[in-house]
Amino acid sequence: MCTIRQATITAALLCVAAAAVEAAAQPADAPATNLTVSAAASQLPAEAWLDPTAAAWSEVESRQVALNRTPPLYDTDPPTSSEIASAEVRMTRASGKLLVRLAWKDPTDDEAVIAKAPATPPEQRRMKEHSEASNRFFDATAVMFPTNLSTGAVSPSLQMGDPQLPVTIYYWNAARGALLMSAQGRGTTKRSGESFPARGGYRDGMWQVTLELPAVPAGVPLAFAVWNGSQQDRDGRKYFSVWYRLQ
Amino acid sequence: MSRHQYAMVMDLNKCLGCQTCTMACKKLWTDRDGTEYMYWNNVETRPGMGYPRQWDTIGGGWKDGNLQPSPIPSIDDYGRPFEYDYEQRLFEGKGKPVMPTPDPISGPNWDEDVGGMNGDENFYFYLPRICNHCSNPACLAACPRQAIYKREEDGIVVLDQERCQGYRYCVAACPYKKIYFNEIAGKSEKCIFCYPRLEKGQVNACAAQCPGRLRFVGLLDDPESPVHKIVLAYKAALPLFPEKGTQPNVFYVPPFNPPKRGNYGKSILEDPRLPLEYLIYLFGPDVKDVIQRLEAELVRAQAGGRTEVLQLLIGRDAETRYRIRPDLVQSNPINKA
Repeated sequence: MCTIRQATITAALLCVAAAAVEAAAQPADAPATNLTVSAAASQLPAEAWLDPTAAAWSEVESRQVALNRTPPLYDTDPPTSSEIASAEVRMTRASGKLLVRLAWKDPTDDEAVIAKAPATPPEQRRMKEHSEASNRFFDATAVMFPTNLSTGAVSPSLQMGDPQLPVTIYYWNAARGALLMSAQGRGTTKRSGESFPARGGYRDGMWQVTLELPAVPAGVPLAFAVWNGSQQDRDGRKYFSVWYRLQ
Repeated sequence: MSRHQYAMVMDLNKCLGCQTCTMACKKLWTDRDGTEYMYWNNVETRPGMGYPRQWDTIGGGWKDGNLQPSPIPSIDDYGRPFEYDYEQRLFEGKGKPVMPTPDPISGPNWDEDVGGMNGDENFYFYLPRICNHCSNPACLAACPRQAIYKREEDGIVVLDQERCQGYRYCVAACPYKKIYFNEIAGKSEKCIFCYPRLEKGQVNACAAQCPGRLRFVGLLDDPESPVHKIVLAYKAALPLFPEKGTQPNVFYVPPFNPPKRGNYGKSILEDPRLPLEYLIYLFGPDVKDVIQRLEAELVRAQAGGRTEVLQLLIGRDAETRYRIRPDLVQSNPINKA
């Protein structure tokens, strides 16, 4: 897949051609992609996997997932370059959970600790928590599944699902933590208000983030996304993968 | 198009820059976590940097039907809030002077009363600003979440805190930079034209507290309202930066100070205290007509005549300045009723 707005026409044609070859290599009734990510069962408990730097992760099969930059969504979007070409994905099953570790190179560490509003109402306090900044955005990542966990040939729209096939998004933000969201098309994303276990850390120019998700059966499509805070990424302004199949 | 449109007129000849409106608004709406740097209502010295700094030149608004790009101002562009260390002085006996922390380097109306030069003479005036509750709001158009909407019943532009995801496209799109991001809440927020007060028949807090009595509030489509009379009947007030294309519903009576040497028979425009070019920059070319119209009224009043528009602009009492009609807002359009 290509970011057409940034590619030459030749490159765009090559990109389309590559996708056609990819599709032709599959039987007619198979999903339109042979891109799979494996998740083998593990004897270790889920908590042991939650640390993205845990040694056990190095034993897990990895897959480089190509990331595409969304083209400018709005006329007012400043031009951006593609700075994050791919993310490394490793997955395992433990304690009835699916653990996903994403790692990607990002030269800028856009994270912060944002103060939480105290439980006491502001009118009962002399001091209020301050907004430290008004114009910063944070690094983030997400994994998206069809909400019904269908293994059928048809995947939801890559643009946040569609009314027929809503999606569930496990989103992790370097400042705001893990947020469970759902959507059924662009502009419909809703925060559930729920969280899920996740841990992330930035070291030596690289993010490593582990998301602990409920069990997801093999054959379900899933897609990955990365947001780069220094590029003012938020919303659909991000890096995204095509649909993969969980194995 | 909303069924009715609340509007405000501010007479810049009467603003004394006291910030009472700013404090009324702050105490009522932005005394919460994450909102210290926000002044939904602010008063800035003109010419000047403005709040946030250089908001009038950085972008946003419409051009040829397209939204225009703009950076999102930084917290230092607004002015980082600071606190005074009273504890050590008052209770800990350290004897050091009370000092602000962090060291202030910018703030709303930071360049108070600096103004500009007209020849070898200094000039300035105050510009109070709230959200313009535009008829063609750029913020609304820029939001991919449809979190911003214009109330059908009274034209007030509000931001749904449930739908907002804190993307801040609205902050960039507003050419007046009247939407603010609350980082603690992760959502943007803005002036709500005190709609909970209006719904109870009370005028906006900024207007109610104004000691200069310079604010007029009512429905633009109500022929009996002071804003209808000043803006549409007498044509004595103009929106700020009309060329930004958002069709504001806050209007300003431009400053029409007497001429520098009026005793010698000159008119305001022949011998202005404020350079006309600067007023044209703020209010567009129509400002010249408005000033001439007001000067003519002034001459009539000085000759012992009576002028309705100047009498109205004096705004002696609340009944003159405000016409808040929750009953009409809930009913059919006035002109069709």
